[in-house]
Amino acid sequence: MAPGGGVTNKLGEPMERQPDGALPAAFRAQWHYLPHYADVNGWRMHYVDEGEGDAVVLLHGNPTWGYLYRDMIGPLVNSGRRVIVPDMIGFGLSEKPVREQAHSLDGHTANLTALVRQLDLKRITPVCHDWGGPTGLSFAMSNPGRVRALTIMSTWAWPLPPAEFHTRIFPWRMMHAPLVGPYLLGRHRALAGRGIYLSVVDREQFARNAQSAYEAVLPDPASRLLTWVWPRWIPLDDNARAFKRFQWLERELSRSKLPTLIVWGREDEVFDAATFSNRFKQMLPHAEGPHLVTGRHFLQEDSGPEIADLIRSFLDRLDLEEGAR
Amino acid sequence: MSDVAVIEKPDFEGKRLSFGLAEDRLAHYPEFRDFFVRTFDLDRRGLAEPGFIRAPSGLPYALVFIGRSGEPFPSGVEVHAVVDALEPLQGEVLDRDLWSILRWIIGGVGAPWTAEDFDRTGRLYRVPAAPSA
Repeated sequence: MAPGGGVTNKLGEPMERQPDGALPAAFRAQWHYLPHYADVNGWRMHYVDEGEGDAVVLLHGNPTWGYLYRDMIGPLVNSGRRVIVPDMIGFGLSEKPVREQAHSLDGHTANLTALVRQLDLKRITPVCHDWGGPTGLSFAMSNPGRVRALTIMSTWAWPLPPAEFHTRIFPWRMMHAPLVGPYLLGRHRALAGRGIYLSVVDREQFARNAQSAYEAVLPDPASRLLTWVWPRWIPLDDNARAFKRFQWLERELSRSKLPTLIVWGREDEVFDAATFSNRFKQMLPHAEGPHLVTGRHFLQEDSGPEIADLIRSFLDRLDLEEGAR
Repeated sequence: MSDVAVIEKPDFEGKRLSFGLAEDRLAHYPEFRDFFVRTFDLDRRGLAEPGFIRAPSGLPYALVFIGRSGEPFPSGVEVHAVVDALEPLQGEVLDRDLWSILRWIIGGVGAPWTAEDFDRTGRLYRVPAAPSA
């Protein structure tokens, strides 16, 4: 920490906060949370820290940020929980490295681990969505003593292609192909803009009320680097960089006895519920759910309050069971 | 017939390189790296000089290949327009040229990658340079 409590970089120099102006004024009413910053694993991470009680850690993926959980933070805080919402390094209001090699699956898991250890969080419930799944679940499996329960939504935790969609050239592999990724997802923010739009149910409402908040925090092609880097970390064969990590994750998660809640978007056509939520249920037969809610991949956009209520009820039941013992 | 062509090294007098696009991981799909090796004879020429192409706007472009220890060459590539030294490059011109260059690359990489799938992807994400169906 710098004198006065500020965050420092690897050289011990004070690090600048991203100006509050990064978010358009129209969205500040929806996102009124005090910004917090931590030096994690050498990077500057922004996070929200609201409420008191056992921590619920809301983890987003590509290409979103904590804003995805804006309709869930309040209800969870009001239910007596501490809610932590980190922005993944490379997204949201966190630092955005400009080199592809700065990003790795293990590195992002280590970033989350650093934050949880700095805040000394215990009895936490990671809520894992998209790449918040492989990172959050890897954190949970490597730090079981800090984890009370899991919530799993529209993600995967096994080595080979998560979905048939990810093996297709049109549009998935084309979108992040060499040079095409920096062009389509960088210059033209294909994923940060229209990509999310195509993956919600109420597109009109999303375009009117939320899309700009996702675009505003990734304003330049270089700031959108992680939007084409994450797709390249999805294993398509057993030579893939993350293949062994996913093998490990599948093995460890299959042994987990942690109380788990599975929530899925009914309309999710990429991580379709019939395939993905059921596979998690087979891995974790003791899990509650899957509960199906209105939603495509970004189900929080269509059903945030309902998902928050499912998590609250799930945790309330755990509290009661613990109290009864 | 592509509207992008490989050319000899252009005259750099009074010119500058204007950055367009960079790729750090050219061999993510190895057939893309193979295309550049084949097209610009990189196994023989290595880092000696960039590859040069002419885009539909008439501008020459330099493909600057990047090496990275421990990885097959080239590991990356930068795409630069060769422009008049003190003149700005219009973003729309650059964008249309980049679209055509990418389409040429994908056509050269070959099946299962097709320029038609590139067009469809561009249309899906409403890229202005993508041709209408």
